[in-house]
Amino acid sequence: MKRFFKNIAIKTNNTYVNFINFFKVSNINVKASMALMGLGQLMYRQIGRGILYLAIEILGIVFFSLYGFHWLVGLITLGTVEADPWTGLEGDNSVIFLLLGLMSLTLLILFIALYISNVKDAYKTSLLVLKGEKIPTFKEDLKDLLDKKFYKTMLFLPLLGTLIFSVLPIVFMILVAFTNYGDTVLPPVLVDWIGIDNFVKIFSLGDIGPTFFKILGWNILWAVSTTLLNYVLGLLLAIILNKKVVKAKFFWRLFPILAYAIPGFITLTAFKFMFAQGGPINQYIIQAGGSAIPFLTKDGTWWARIIGLLINAWLTVPSVMLLATGILSNINNDLYEAARIDGAGSFKQFKDITLPFVVFATTPTLITSFIGNFNNFGVFYFLRGAIESDGYFASNDTDLLINWLYRLSIDNTYYSIGAAISLIIFVITSAISLIIYIKSPAYKKEDTFR
Amino acid sequence: MKNFKHLFVIFATLVATLSACQPSVSSSTTSSSNSNTTITNPSEDDPVFSKFTGELERNVEIKVVENDTAIKMGYLDELIEAFNEEYKEYGITAVDANQGEFADLPNTGPYGYGPDVVYQANDVLMGWVQDKHIMPLPTHLIEAYQSDVIPQTAHEAYKSVNNNVNYTFGVPVNIQSPLLYYRKDLLPSDWQETWDDNDNDVPDMVENIVDLYQFSLQYHEQDNSKYGFEFSLNDFYFTSGYLFSYGAYLFGENNRDDTDIGLHQGNAKYGVQLLRQFAAQMSPACIDDSAKLAISGAMASGKYFASVTTPDVRSVIVDALATTYQDEEGLTSQEAIQKAEENIIGVPFPSLPSNGDLINPSEEMIECKQMGGINGFAMSSYTKYPNASLAFINFATSYKMVKLREEIIQIAPCRSDVASESNELSQQLFEKASNGSIVLMPSIKAINQVWTPAGSFMGDVAADPSRGSNAKYDTLDKIQAALEQLSKDIYDAIHLLS
Repeated sequence: MKRFFKNIAIKTNNTYVNFINFFKVSNINVKASMALMGLGQLMYRQIGRGILYLAIEILGIVFFSLYGFHWLVGLITLGTVEADPWTGLEGDNSVIFLLLGLMSLTLLILFIALYISNVKDAYKTSLLVLKGEKIPTFKEDLKDLLDKKFYKTMLFLPLLGTLIFSVLPIVFMILVAFTNYGDTVLPPVLVDWIGIDNFVKIFSLGDIGPTFFKILGWNILWAVSTTLLNYVLGLLLAIILNKKVVKAKFFWRLFPILAYAIPGFITLTAFKFMFAQGGPINQYIIQAGGSAIPFLTKDGTWWARIIGLLINAWLTVPSVMLLATGILSNINNDLYEAARIDGAGSFKQFKDITLPFVVFATTPTLITSFIGNFNNFGVFYFLRGAIESDGYFASNDTDLLINWLYRLSIDNTYYSIGAAISLIIFVITSAISLIIYIKSPAYKKEDTFR
Repeated sequence: MKNFKHLFVIFATLVATLSACQPSVSSSTTSSSNSNTTITNPSEDDPVFSKFTGELERNVEIKVVENDTAIKMGYLDELIEAFNEEYKEYGITAVDANQGEFADLPNTGPYGYGPDVVYQANDVLMGWVQDKHIMPLPTHLIEAYQSDVIPQTAHEAYKSVNNNVNYTFGVPVNIQSPLLYYRKDLLPSDWQETWDDNDNDVPDMVENIVDLYQFSLQYHEQDNSKYGFEFSLNDFYFTSGYLFSYGAYLFGENNRDDTDIGLHQGNAKYGVQLLRQFAAQMSPACIDDSAKLAISGAMASGKYFASVTTPDVRSVIVDALATTYQDEEGLTSQEAIQKAEENIIGVPFPSLPSNGDLINPSEEMIECKQMGGINGFAMSSYTKYPNASLAFINFATSYKMVKLREEIIQIAPCRSDVASESNELSQQLFEKASNGSIVLMPSIKAINQVWTPAGSFMGDVAADPSRGSNAKYDTLDKIQAALEQLSKDIYDAIHLLS
């Protein structure tokens, strides 16, 4: 930790020294751009570019004076006047403040980035002048955006979309995890920042901490086992249906695809009905003289877990089969021919040719499948959503973290706790995915199968 | 790696910054009363009522949320038509808000597109009061309250305390409660001789649970695929009454104090014991939702003689039975429906032995309580037309409209003047709601934390007889311990994260 802070201090000092040096070597035009965006460019007679930067600065100042600053303050306070719908008093809405504040913060970062780009641009131009090279005109700049810098033009909209629709909601969720939003604190009641209290609650309060670790343990076991099971079964099915001896392949492939095509929640509802206490499976067992099996009841922990694994295989194996079928058709048959000539048997061929090739090609899919399964909400929500187990806080022994998150945040409106759990899930899945990817042949031997 | 370090620095700085911010205290509306303060009723000139000037807004549209049954059966059209006619001269028009019966007022109202008037159960409406989404109503301007036709218990369900003033937030219209439904045509042909000890022309097996238990044993013995009494015990709305009958309660202080969970109080264990004993005579379908989902088919086929469900499900059972009559007896559609209507009978829950033992029952019987709700009209705090909305509420809760609602939807009214002219079942329900035998769903948010743990527990109790020597609830002491744990779990769910 000491070393960490020492590094930060060194880096900060280096940045400061670099800035002082940069300031010293900069000419008057660059310094003018530092004082007023676009001024340096205007002094170099880059009129279009200069006006654009100047306009950005003016717009930025107007925006932050009228709204931005107020929104940033709102991000810190989350509102100071509580609304009273009974008297019609329009107070502050903390959630809106959080959103607007976040937006304002993003715009501020963008503004700073543009400011830096303005200074860098002026500096670059000063170097061109020093070298005696021609300064590009505004028309040439625009032309460049459709030619040399076309990638920037093309990437601008997707980048903006990602920022608005992906990054901002994630950051919003992260921020919510540090507030007391939820339960009795819902607008018009004002929300407050509470630091890391939500994380402390998750790990330490009553049954919550033990519940978290029990669910996490089962969640990891579930994600690993269901991903492997689906992968192995899908691959096996693809290999079997890929054999030349199999007649009417299309016909056989149709069945798994049908299972895949039916919406998941219908399949899950049907399976829940079949395994219910009064469902057909138990009725047949009773008719045969047996006793009803508690498949999905409070007692049915492992029954329900195994049923969940099999149902998820039913839903997922077809997609793995289709993927593997495509990959198998890409393997060069000469490899098998050569292997056969060298005396390799079927298993040896599978182990040394088919498997490495398929694993290499599907590692990224395996990772997404693992994350998908780690966050597989549907299976146990449908099967055992109405059950709470002894020793678990507002959850049961087949719930995954995502189910628990749902119960806490949607059923019980503990939004901030839900956001904190989301953040933990995010950290866990990211870490596991990263480790798997770095250790995988797809990363280590990237060129092997090219 | 360098990028990771940068990210970590940003994240650490963010955490440190946010951690440094101290929480401030927010005020919120409270629904629990404080014993050290005096709670008063609001005066007519309370500032909260300043919006109610008595002057109707002209040429305005009132958006009304009604329940699906009222819409489906045409009652809402009748109500709107009558109201619009009455207030034609003011240009006030009521319309269906078209936002579904569970209109999400907290997420629509503040943003200006919510309904003006909402019809809902008391627990839902009062859940919104805590965040001030529902407007306190001036009872002195409401006919139903002024004519003294609303039972005190129903009025209480719509009250909540804010700043030591006990405001009213809704006007009751109907009583909702589960009922025991049975097949009259499946009664033994000689039931009047063998199953009517008190000669009151009501079969004993639907009057007291001990006889229902005995009848169930016989019914199952005659055909082991059939059950005399079967319902989903995991539905706490159905089973809570058995606990309440022996002294349990949900929340203290008349269901307003969520720090006092009382599901283990009194002799609640007797209610659990009794249900466990009955579950041993039911099929495994009673453990989960299976019995609830199968009810119409099972009652139509005679697999169940009696079951428990809500009155809105009765028409589904009647339809299924009518189809059976058509198929088996060759009746016309109209004849079959009429016969099914005559044979599906709803009654309040049968009385219980005071010792909660079906195998060795006591002589003394006690009335079985049941959970219920009071549906009524309330006003959104975000309405721009409080006076016109109040006029609509007054109109919709008037004698004329409540009577019409009862006639069309066949639901028990919550006005004494309408109830006194209603059928016997409606009168019984009104009486039960008035004397507290129907325990109204608590009007506080904390009720949301009850259903899943309590339902899960009752499902576990239903599964217990099949566990044999591994039974978890085979003694009263074990049941008591489990109920205490249940109360604690509910308390934790409400308060641990607050």
